[in-house]
Amino acid sequence: MAADADIFESRDKLGQPLAVSLALHALLFAAAVVGPSILGKNTGEDWGGATSGGGAMSATLVSSIPLPSRPDATNVLANESKGLSESQPKPEVKEPDAIPIPDRDVKAKPTPKAATPTAQKPVPQREVAEVDNRVPFGQGGPVSGPYGSFHAGGAKGGFGFTGGGGDFGSRYAWYVDQVRRKVSENWLKYEVDPTVSAARRVYIYFEIDRSGSPRNIRVEQSSGVPSLDQSATRALQRIDTFGPLPNDYYGSNVSVEFWFDYRR
Amino acid sequence: MIKRFAFAALLLVCTAAPLAAQDWIRTGTGLGVEKIRIAVPDFKAASADAQSPALVKTFNDVLWNDLEQAGIFEMVSKSFYPLGQFGGPADIRNDAWGNPPPSASMVAFGNLGVNAGYVVVQGWLFDVKNPQSPQVLAKQYREAASDENARAIAHRFANEIIFRLGGGIQGITETKIFFVRTTAGGKEVWEMDYDGANQHPVTKLGSISLSPRISPDGNRLAFSSYYQGGPNIHVWSMELNRLLNFPKFGGTNLSPAWSSDGTKLAFSSSRGGDPEIYTVDANGTNLKRVTAYRGPDVSPVWNPKTNAQIAFVSGRTGLPQIHTMESDGTNLQRLTNEGYAVSPSWSPNGQFLAFAWIRHYGPGAPGAQDIYIMDVASRQWVQLTHSGGRNDFPSWSPDGRHIVFQSNRSGSDQIWTMLADGSQQRQLTNSGVNTQPNWSAR
Repeated sequence: MAADADIFESRDKLGQPLAVSLALHALLFAAAVVGPSILGKNTGEDWGGATSGGGAMSATLVSSIPLPSRPDATNVLANESKGLSESQPKPEVKEPDAIPIPDRDVKAKPTPKAATPTAQKPVPQREVAEVDNRVPFGQGGPVSGPYGSFHAGGAKGGFGFTGGGGDFGSRYAWYVDQVRRKVSENWLKYEVDPTVSAARRVYIYFEIDRSGSPRNIRVEQSSGVPSLDQSATRALQRIDTFGPLPNDYYGSNVSVEFWFDYRR
Repeated sequence: MIKRFAFAALLLVCTAAPLAAQDWIRTGTGLGVEKIRIAVPDFKAASADAQSPALVKTFNDVLWNDLEQAGIFEMVSKSFYPLGQFGGPADIRNDAWGNPPPSASMVAFGNLGVNAGYVVVQGWLFDVKNPQSPQVLAKQYREAASDENARAIAHRFANEIIFRLGGGIQGITETKIFFVRTTAGGKEVWEMDYDGANQHPVTKLGSISLSPRISPDGNRLAFSSYYQGGPNIHVWSMELNRLLNFPKFGGTNLSPAWSSDGTKLAFSSSRGGDPEIYTVDANGTNLKRVTAYRGPDVSPVWNPKTNAQIAFVSGRTGLPQIHTMESDGTNLQRLTNEGYAVSPSWSPNGQFLAFAWIRHYGPGAPGAQDIYIMDVASRQWVQLTHSGGRNDFPSWSPDGRHIVFQSNRSGSDQIWTMLADGSQQRQLTNSGVNTQPNWSAR
């Protein structure tokens, strides 16, 4: 037959499809390469550049960081201790040479001042460190050191209250002492469950209004022992007034976060 | 890009919120609660008047005594003070007072001068541990120049210091103590300052007057007396300086006690044959009997916080014991179980009862009568006096920190005072025979 026997010999016309293909490729190339520079850099950050600010760390020279020197900084990675599993040797108890004569039989005393001298058990380090500026773990946050020794040129921890807010403790240290004394006097430790020997701190939050009365008393962080939380709350409820807020203080109230350490 | 802006906007909103300036204090128990160390150097004489030295000395003595007796201070001994005279804020260097040897937390200082017949006192209270803003108080007083006014100013300044540093509780430096003095004609009611000064008679009835109780507003004095028969309850007006009309109820009427709002009196009367507790309005009307049990019921006192409870002494079980009941007679409870307990006095915060107790009573027992404090809720008690002899009639001060009582440990019955934990026991009266003290409420 003399039909299209030469179909194997016919060639495709490449012209138009090739042109279209080339055009599309060129467009793709343009979009891939030129496009971002038109649309702007919206991905990624330039690391280490002067304008980086997306949260990555920026490295500067160590010598320009104004940190206080830490004379006894321990390298937590490479030291001799076995870490959490290390066992401490038992401290040896020295028997006293002279045994004191026991006092006359006196029953337990819940006098108003009993909580103060006899109830001082070993407690964690005081929040205001008079010697160095290290903040012990878990005790940072908005700081108002009662004697002002924690303030280094206005720098404070936590959220950075500055100016009018946050310096009540440094101006009226005697008032802070009064609050602490009154609450400690009114805390009746016998209200706590007698089977408890030691407990975590319970943090109570309250506000002191102008007349000195505590308001809005609530447990901010529980100790896990309900009777301890309750006795702490009751200690505050027992107090009528701490004394009026100082005359030259212009705020309407002061917020107080008070913690109770219990050891039997 | 939109996403980036949105994220930035969100971040800005979050950081703006906590910038509201709220003042915070963070503190807790166990942070070294001890008494405040206060230094009180002598006030400087600001003028060269002839009267000044005597007035300055009186002022200094009274101020020192008031602060020492307050019970909340630890007085720094004068031998540790820096040398010199301290008359004004310029004379005080915080480090000289805050560091050893004084190691004081507070310094009270000032000057006293006499000017045209008036004594002018300027006093400051400085917190020397707080160099940024040391001033706590700055006061000025001006009165006619006399010894009593110098005392009064010292009492007032001490009161200010105690109020500021003592947790908002008014000091007791301007309160009075009423007591019974034995005279040639019998027993009369006398009055003195809380530190024993200025003792003078109040009643002049020429008879035997017992158990004086001053009303909470300080205007009326109730006592029981054998004046014109009796013993009956009488009410004396402090302003008019004479007896007021008060009905005579018949029988033996003893131990009146004011409620803390001054509207009612409770007392013990045997008008029905057996001594029972009665309450009556302050003008003598509306008599009501509260107890109704065989056995003498005497010495009622009201709970000053609630005015709804009465503590009293009852002999219904044999020896006198302390009981409490509601003011209508219900809910009777016995607080002591042994010995011989009398003279209850309720503390101003309603928590404690002070009373006199012979815990081991009877033949063969040592039998000393001592002052005890009992917590009403938990029934736990503490013994305050241990010196032997007879200690009786405790009465609380309005700040709840002091107790005045009578004791014969010096040989004769005298009025003594002490802190509510039994420390700092001091004798207030020295001459005559003085008994049955009662502390005024203001």
